[in-house]
Amino acid sequence: MADRRELGLAYPRPTLQESVARASGVVLLVVLAAWALRGADVQLDKLQTGLPRLGAFLGRLFPPDIDAATTVFGATVETLQIAVAGTLLSIAASVLLGILAATNLTPVWVHQPVKWLLGALRGIPLILLALMFVTIVGLGPFPGVLAIAFHSTGMLGKFYAEAMEGARRGPLEALDSAGASWWQRIRFGILPQVAPDLARDTLFRFELNFRDSLVLGLVGAGGIGFYIQLYARGFQYAKVATLTIVVLIVVIAVEQLSVAVRARLR
Amino acid sequence: MSAAPAVVLDGLQVRYGPERPWVLDLDHLTIRAGERVALIGPSGSGKTTLLRVLNGYVLPEHGHMAILGRVIDPKRPRETWPQEERLRVGFVFQDFALVERATVFQNVLWGRLGRVRALPSLLGIFPRADKFAAMRAILEVDLRDQAAQRVDTLSGGQQQRVGIARVLAQEAEVLLADEPVSNLDPVLAEETLALLATLSRAHGATLVMSLHQPALAARYADRVIGLRSGAIVHDGPSGALDEAAVRRIYRPDSSATKAGESAVKEMVDG
Repeated sequence: MADRRELGLAYPRPTLQESVARASGVVLLVVLAAWALRGADVQLDKLQTGLPRLGAFLGRLFPPDIDAATTVFGATVETLQIAVAGTLLSIAASVLLGILAATNLTPVWVHQPVKWLLGALRGIPLILLALMFVTIVGLGPFPGVLAIAFHSTGMLGKFYAEAMEGARRGPLEALDSAGASWWQRIRFGILPQVAPDLARDTLFRFELNFRDSLVLGLVGAGGIGFYIQLYARGFQYAKVATLTIVVLIVVIAVEQLSVAVRARLR
Repeated sequence: MSAAPAVVLDGLQVRYGPERPWVLDLDHLTIRAGERVALIGPSGSGKTTLLRVLNGYVLPEHGHMAILGRVIDPKRPRETWPQEERLRVGFVFQDFALVERATVFQNVLWGRLGRVRALPSLLGIFPRADKFAAMRAILEVDLRDQAAQRVDTLSGGQQQRVGIARVLAQEAEVLLADEPVSNLDPVLAEETLALLATLSRAHGATLVMSLHQPALAARYADRVIGLRSGAIVHDGPSGALDEAAVRRIYRPDSSATKAGESAVKEMVDG
């Protein structure tokens, strides 16, 4: 029945070149894995022999110290405030930089440098930005807000630009032919089209910002990170347990809220 | 017609990039004010390019052009054809080109962006007179009940009526329509073309539209221009569009197949 001779032609097969390319891809992946595992000193037997010590570590976390809850809760709220303020500042900067970085809205000598700037912002580690702003404006949550704002603009500006680049051209041409100016075309031709995308990107970035800002206190830039280092260095594991629980609850709450809102956007 | 011609083109040559073949190579074309013209011709014959030249999207490399009595220098478009003059020419798109998440009213109102002050408009503030003009245009295309609806909830035929209302709100004196009904079923196509023809007459506007079906061109235009390889190969009143003319526009070679022959017959009989 299903004999290809009936068709009188051979089935298409991958060329030698395609086969070689596929095989070298697999080899490359294996080499890469070996290189990384050796270099990073990955030894699974260490994990096995050390497993009993995990029990001791977890045992010290119990029972959580409820007395620390109020302190921890206050710091968590401050962390949340840093994340919200940082995200709001970042939205303003990202809208502007996103418009300038969109290839369909600005000439190449504008959008290319702005794309590089956004890349550079993404490249600087958050903790380094936080250290820098602590040096400039002193200790407290404010340098944390600035660090979050700068760091997340690198990503949010890029996402906004990509959303705007994906906007349909037709409405822009239509508004242009109705005599709309550049700003009017962006305001009426682009923003209404991409609004749900921008909102989705922003909420996602806010989730990341909240988790990122947990560590800011490590360098004195406000929030819960300060207590993370305080308790952990003081071996107050019962308080660390409380801290972990509170953080876990808030992180999950923020994520659920964000997911619920994003699902409603259309 | 009394006033200046809507369109005068002379020795017009257009191509997309140097060394490329001419997409449009016209000796002469005059379109009188108030005329209703259909452009027909095979794909790639230059219909869309011609419409885009008339809209200022594509600039000719050579030639003279005057739109609504204004002489335009293709080398200096910004100076000789400023935005406030260009908006006297409106465009109706094949794919409607609407902001689908916005309402019918918003889309039509935005047809007036070139006529309102920029700063208040960016804040969403439009003068009463402009909102009135938008609403009146919506009534003219019979979308009264849909005015507050989002465009993406409308049918294709309704969406194209929003596109037409937008150029009415723009108060365009020349209406350009690029394949305005090729995304619509035959009944909606007839209705939409009838509406375009009626409204352009009611507003004294010149209508230039490209169409795929010669039968529709003959029915809804006064004059039919046939393009082939960027040149005008037929130009006459719509009554004069017979089988021979259609064959000349679409199949000039003698190697016409049987299927091609019957297609030509069908195109004319529609």
